[in-house]
Amino acid sequence: METKEIGIYIHIPYCRTICPYCDFVRHPTSCNIPSRFLEALKTEILSLPGSYSVKSVYFGGGTPSLMTSDQIAFILGVLASRFGIRIAEFSGENLQPIEITMEANPDDVTASKVADWQALGINRLSLGVQSFSEEVLKYLGRRHDACTAVRACEIVAGIYRNWSMDLIYGALPVETWESTLCMCKTFQPPHVSTYGLTYEKGTPFEARQDEKIEDDVSLELYRQAERELGTYFHYEISNFAKAGFEARHNLVYWTNEEYAGFGPGAYSFLENVRSRNEIDLDKYIISPCGKSERLNLSNYEVEVETLIQHFRLARGLDKSYYERRFGHPVTMRFGEKLQVLIQRGLLVEDEYAIRPTSLGFELNNEIGLVLVD
Amino acid sequence: MSSSREHIRNFCIIAHVDHGKSTLADRILELTGAVDPRNLKEQTLDTMDIERERGITIKAVAVRLTYKAQDGQTYVLNLIDTPGHVDFSYEVSRSLAACEGAVLLVDAAQGVEAQTLAHFYRALEQNLEIIPVINKIDLPSADIDSCRRQITEVLGLEGDEAILASAKEGTGTREVLEAVVKRIPSPKGDPDAPLRALIFDAVYDSYRGVIVYIRIVDGRATKGQEIVFMSSGDRYDIVELGVFRPAPDPMESLETGEVGYLICNIKTLRSVKIGDTVTDVASPAKDPLPGYEQIKPVVFCGLYPAAASDYEELRNALEKLQLNDASFVFQADNSDALGFGFRLGFLGLLHMEIIQERLEREFNLSLVATTPNVAYKVTTVDGKQLVIENASKLPPPNKIAEIAEPYIEAEIICPTEYLSSVIELCKRKRGVHVRVDYIDNKRCMAIYQMPLAEIVLDFYDKLKSCTRGYGSLEYRLIGFRPDNLVKLDILLNGDPVDALSCIVHRDRAEAIGRTLAQKLRKLIPRQQFEVAIQAAIGSRILVRETIKPLRKNVTAKCYGGDITRKRKLLEKQKEGKKRMKQIGNVEVPQEAFMALLSVGDEIDK
Repeated sequence: METKEIGIYIHIPYCRTICPYCDFVRHPTSCNIPSRFLEALKTEILSLPGSYSVKSVYFGGGTPSLMTSDQIAFILGVLASRFGIRIAEFSGENLQPIEITMEANPDDVTASKVADWQALGINRLSLGVQSFSEEVLKYLGRRHDACTAVRACEIVAGIYRNWSMDLIYGALPVETWESTLCMCKTFQPPHVSTYGLTYEKGTPFEARQDEKIEDDVSLELYRQAERELGTYFHYEISNFAKAGFEARHNLVYWTNEEYAGFGPGAYSFLENVRSRNEIDLDKYIISPCGKSERLNLSNYEVEVETLIQHFRLARGLDKSYYERRFGHPVTMRFGEKLQVLIQRGLLVEDEYAIRPTSLGFELNNEIGLVLVD
Repeated sequence: MSSSREHIRNFCIIAHVDHGKSTLADRILELTGAVDPRNLKEQTLDTMDIERERGITIKAVAVRLTYKAQDGQTYVLNLIDTPGHVDFSYEVSRSLAACEGAVLLVDAAQGVEAQTLAHFYRALEQNLEIIPVINKIDLPSADIDSCRRQITEVLGLEGDEAILASAKEGTGTREVLEAVVKRIPSPKGDPDAPLRALIFDAVYDSYRGVIVYIRIVDGRATKGQEIVFMSSGDRYDIVELGVFRPAPDPMESLETGEVGYLICNIKTLRSVKIGDTVTDVASPAKDPLPGYEQIKPVVFCGLYPAAASDYEELRNALEKLQLNDASFVFQADNSDALGFGFRLGFLGLLHMEIIQERLEREFNLSLVATTPNVAYKVTTVDGKQLVIENASKLPPPNKIAEIAEPYIEAEIICPTEYLSSVIELCKRKRGVHVRVDYIDNKRCMAIYQMPLAEIVLDFYDKLKSCTRGYGSLEYRLIGFRPDNLVKLDILLNGDPVDALSCIVHRDRAEAIGRTLAQKLRKLIPRQQFEVAIQAAIGSRILVRETIKPLRKNVTAKCYGGDITRKRKLLEKQKEGKKRMKQIGNVEVPQEAFMALLSVGDEIDK
């Protein structure tokens, strides 16, 4: 049987404090991450059927930086035994065949920890700075303050070559966005994610919808980021990178390729099935292979989703890639719809690819609306 | 069982909506043993779900009951159900014409209402013996004395002799039946004359075809007889005839004075005209029974399939629906904005709502309806007379000499403390004051003449809200009157949208145009481009509103799992978009085409 390359996502659902806007599966804890959780992860990872090789690993959360070094090593060891990743591939930073990213909270960053993470094989850090404004950090209910954010950036920038800074715009007061962007640039992270704040259902922020900024303001902030980060390649709607530093794991999602997610609430997409793990942490620990959702997608649905995802990327959709993957040209099923989108100025087409325009980035959901039935 | 004519009583129950007509009918069915109380579904005579939900009866059904009276004799009672709503006044009048008497129900807590009066007058026109009954006397808020006074003073009946009843609890039912037997005369008519039967209703049954309800006025009808409908000249053989008890009971013949049904393989309700006379082909009657009228729709609206591909389906649905409701009419129509669809005519606003609801519910159709309007009589400068049922078909202003609109006379009954707000409302609706009558120290009746177009829009809702639900309304058409009427056009990005045109009074055109444009601005979602909404009379732009273009519509994060959620969300949005109409490059939600309905609210604010 053919060995497919997939991305691996590990969800660490523990946090010291709960951010009121976050809608990921998370649990407050003042203690260490319990070993029974790690045992559950191990059970789940080892139970995954099929033959796969790994192209990326991503520790997300929650707060993965709450893990001890031993715990990180434990999971990497389990992954190595399940997927046959050679330990050698974990070490060093250059020419990694696989990307291993961990999200880190500025509060957890110390020089010795960051050095440990690197030594363990984590070759990319995603630092959840969110803002350098004291007011915005308070508004977002973050655990760290602006000073901690600056210190964490200094440490990470000093140790990691490949790291990303996560920022949120649209939180009040919005005027702080410019200074946050300026601060960001001083650390020259090779990758920056800028997310518009959302007031998700089921979070405390849901009740605060009326604080949401107007579209026009949001657009202004978005364009401001694009201007300030002009030396970066704006390769995905919310992501900027220096050449060669695109988030390889996230590209798995944006190209709608296969991935396996482990941990409570994690999604997997394998063999046209998109499934979600048990969301409840206690239940997950008891039966780590339980699913809360399982969707069998038709080939057509996968094609629609693949298009929607690719049009989040500046490089858009490579037509020959599509034909190789699905066995027919993209025009066969979507020719008419793509023409509409091109006429509306949301997409452009050349010999090789169909790409979103900058309007196509700003009105990206309109593209999806045309593509779905 | 054939019955001697002296022992037949044909009667109906008339009442304002919700005064307890159907409940009393149920009690009567139980008491006469026609229905086992345990099997009685609530309100047996109302057959359609929509009717039951709205608490009104659309189709009349006649039931034959056997009643052993206190005088020891057994009587045959034919209970004829009447439609309860203002829109069906002609049908009501035909049902009444099949009776010799009527039980007039008055709610003990509500007293005489506008429809009580309207039904009462119609019953008087038919010379019916009227038995007043005060119902719902069990209610804590019942005011029996006041009801008696109202019956005496407003209706001119003997209020003191009114029967007290609570149909809910079953009290007074026997007294009602005794009064029916004692006071309502037995049917007259000539049993030896050629057959003349009044068609007072007809329903469509998918197995039997049309079931025609008749009252034999003269002669007799027998199974196998060849008959003719006098207005149309159509001939049929009687395949089956009989009575409902309430289950159908086929018989060999129906005699003078009897009420029953005919089945003669009639395929469509359109072939049967309510009020028509049935006679014998071999020995026909010389003259038809009086009172037959061709019913005419008074309210019109456009109905379009949300998806153009559903046009055939909509046509089929309309044809099917017309099988069991011949009182609405439709014809194919083509709107620049909405594409191919139909123009429908109804007896009234409620009738329209019921048909639209049935189309959506029973045929699962997604429809775009335009704001209802009335028919206008237009005189052109070269003296031609036109009837315009659709504002977009109005000739250009320079070709029009005069536009006349239908007027109604409205009787509005309300508690006295709301009279000033009712008068205020009528004035706003271009009403012409006729008079105010005081019913008692608490309630009064305001009589106004006003344009039907104003009633069609939102009058009834307005009346209910300005009288806290106590106001009741009855109206009748009184003819056409010319006025300073103009066509108001709505333009989207410079192009007039035919389906949004309306005919309004010139003095109100600008206010209506402004409110309409503002409403549309809120209803039409932001698009990729700026959308200009303008209201205009001819080439004169009165108002402009602008919908700013969509600036940012993007999902910030899209990682594992988010994509399926996003796709579902987009699919749901798309479903909503499918109900929108593409006009030029603008997507317009279907609510926009009904926006005029609530324009009044905004202007009044």
